[in-house]
Amino acid sequence: MLVKSLSALFLLLSLTTAAMAAEPVKSPVPSSQATSTPTAQQTGPSAASQPSAAKAVQPAQAASPGAPVKVKPNRAITITMFMAIIAVTLCVVVWAAKQTTSAADFYAAGGGITGFQNGWAIAGDYMSAASFLGMSGLISLYGIDGFMYAVGPMFSFIAILLVVAEPCRNAGKFTLGDILSFRAAPKTVRGVAAISTVTVSLFYLIAQMVGAGKLMQVLLDIPYRVSVIGVGVLMVGYVVFGGMKATTWVQIIKAGLLMTGTVLLAVLVMVKAGMNPISFFSDIVGSQMIQDHVRMNVLKDAIPKAGFDYGQRFLEPGLFLKNPLDQISLGIAWALGAAGLPHILMRFFTVPNAKEARKSIVVALFINSTFFFLINLIGFGAALYLTPQLISSVDKGGNMATLLLAQKLGGGAGSLGGDMFLAFICAVAFATILAVVSGLVLAASAAIAHDIYVNIIKGGKADQKAQVRTAKITSLCVGIIAIFMGLAAEKENVVALVALAFAVAASGNFPAVMLSLFWKRFNTAGIVGALVIGTVSAIGLVMVSPNMTYPQKIANDAKKVIETLEKKQAEGTVLAEKDMKALEKARGDFKKNDGGVSMVGLKAPLFPLKNPAIVSLPLGLLAAILFTLLFRDRRAEDMFDEIEVRQITGLGIAKASDH
Amino acid sequence: MATTYDWGNIARNPKYLELKRKKRVFLFGWWAASSAFYFMLPVLSGYFPELFKMKIIGVVNFGYLFILSQFVAAFFVAFIYTRVANNQFDRLTDELVREIQ
Repeated sequence: MLVKSLSALFLLLSLTTAAMAAEPVKSPVPSSQATSTPTAQQTGPSAASQPSAAKAVQPAQAASPGAPVKVKPNRAITITMFMAIIAVTLCVVVWAAKQTTSAADFYAAGGGITGFQNGWAIAGDYMSAASFLGMSGLISLYGIDGFMYAVGPMFSFIAILLVVAEPCRNAGKFTLGDILSFRAAPKTVRGVAAISTVTVSLFYLIAQMVGAGKLMQVLLDIPYRVSVIGVGVLMVGYVVFGGMKATTWVQIIKAGLLMTGTVLLAVLVMVKAGMNPISFFSDIVGSQMIQDHVRMNVLKDAIPKAGFDYGQRFLEPGLFLKNPLDQISLGIAWALGAAGLPHILMRFFTVPNAKEARKSIVVALFINSTFFFLINLIGFGAALYLTPQLISSVDKGGNMATLLLAQKLGGGAGSLGGDMFLAFICAVAFATILAVVSGLVLAASAAIAHDIYVNIIKGGKADQKAQVRTAKITSLCVGIIAIFMGLAAEKENVVALVALAFAVAASGNFPAVMLSLFWKRFNTAGIVGALVIGTVSAIGLVMVSPNMTYPQKIANDAKKVIETLEKKQAEGTVLAEKDMKALEKARGDFKKNDGGVSMVGLKAPLFPLKNPAIVSLPLGLLAAILFTLLFRDRRAEDMFDEIEVRQITGLGIAKASDH
Repeated sequence: MATTYDWGNIARNPKYLELKRKKRVFLFGWWAASSAFYFMLPVLSGYFPELFKMKIIGVVNFGYLFILSQFVAAFFVAFIYTRVANNQFDRLTDELVREIQ
């Protein structure tokens, strides 16, 4: 009854939002702003989220004054496809809502998801707008460096497959807190674990919301505010009414759509290349436009170096990734952080047993490897068939490469095929965003409702109805907070938040989970030590890292531009209109930013790396070991046999369906 | 949880100890090996760029093929683990559980 009336209300709400989206007249968005803001690179759990760190700051400041080219999706077709996706997902929600009555239903879909289905859902969590749009863009502008990012997410499955998924499924129930509090002081550990989960998920969620808002702004030509609220309302609706079941199915549907679009695009690229990968790459190396792009835009060689093969350089590393130590640090964050992300951990509990958990990771690994491999073809295809010059003129970070390529390969702008394919890919990006944010809301609210409310406040004694009600209220609150924070962070540099989420998960959650499962003496003090020191050091290092915005650096860069151009003027050259505008802008930037300091009062970064894991993980691990040894706990040691037998054999496994 | 088990007793069961040892050696061994291979990517590309630039097939260089080899390696580990887990670990676990219940 309640569910039904709420569903109706929710349907109404989302339709209103969609209707608002359909009326561009009321929304005066300056188009140049919309196209020059970085979008997808800021968004995801996926590969391209990190590299964008450097990129994302610049486009906002250094937006070229020349009239930008725009992606122009056909509104009628695009909106029809968006509505179709909303309609299908709402049907899923209504269907899932009927079956969501217990806490296990809400958090773990009653354990009724098969390994194969869960594999698609996990793969969906990895395939965000960042990887779909951002990574192909990065490849189209910087060549092989973009492709190197794909390896991290793929490799993260190995740690999950071998040492995380099955033990966690055997020993846990719904949340990170369930695994950690097994043989430690439950209230303390659950409290700390919940705070950590909410922090990680919110960081991530805000980055996603801001990215989503900006992407929708470009795709549908609607105001940022409307797109954030629209995405937020749908996301809250999925979670509140459908719980884990709806969230999982939305993720599966999205993953299916995304793979369809990706395969189609990659096949079209290969057909155009005559199905010959070797000649495809030869064409890339031989492309005059790519050679010019590498020489002038990337390496900044005004005069070609004699005998240097600029085309071949596109296939060699180091155009985008310059600091090897940062790469290793990012590698650690991926290899271990993904395994500690709460919204990924939660997915292991939706399957009935460890065997299905194993199967789901293998399925996810296969889907994602295929996806990332195809993205590499799409990225290089975009470079060859669109040219990096065109791609970066539409969006500095290259985020529109996939969309432009779809339009071109579908038959070109204005043609029915081009419009249809572009609209389809836009709709897929939309579905991607919805699915990823929903999973994050669910993870954050599970930590609050299950760990804090049910287990700390109620001492584990709450009936099913009260548990589900609390979970729904918390989801609603988390969703509303995320919408407000997304609105507030429109102009903020949110890229650091993604780096942070991974670093915290790798430095705090991962050692805590591993040692809980595998080290006999590990205890409450160690868990708290790992979570607190891991989290604090990761946040602290990111705050003083190059991820933050440093006004002084912007001022210095502007000063360089001013000096070069003024020198030109002094030499008697009459500046072109474009240069005059650049000079004016640089003067403004210099005035505004000179003497300014970053959020924590720094003129320049203290810590040289964007990814803190290489330092914060050892700190978290060290704290875990040190605190454990300092505060010995006999009870935790005595209970080790139990958790070990459980995680290895699956005896006494929490049946998500019985209570 | 309906049944309670004597965890300490199970933990001393020889079958359990065998399963535990086999799992530990296999899982941590493969994890370490695959991590070593994975971290070769940032290390080699960062500190030995010349190696990555070596052309192997036409214009396609060592770097590109090495990235592809990471995909193959991940498939390989997943394949080996699935086989061993399905054939060995699951069987041992089933035997052990049957003995206890």
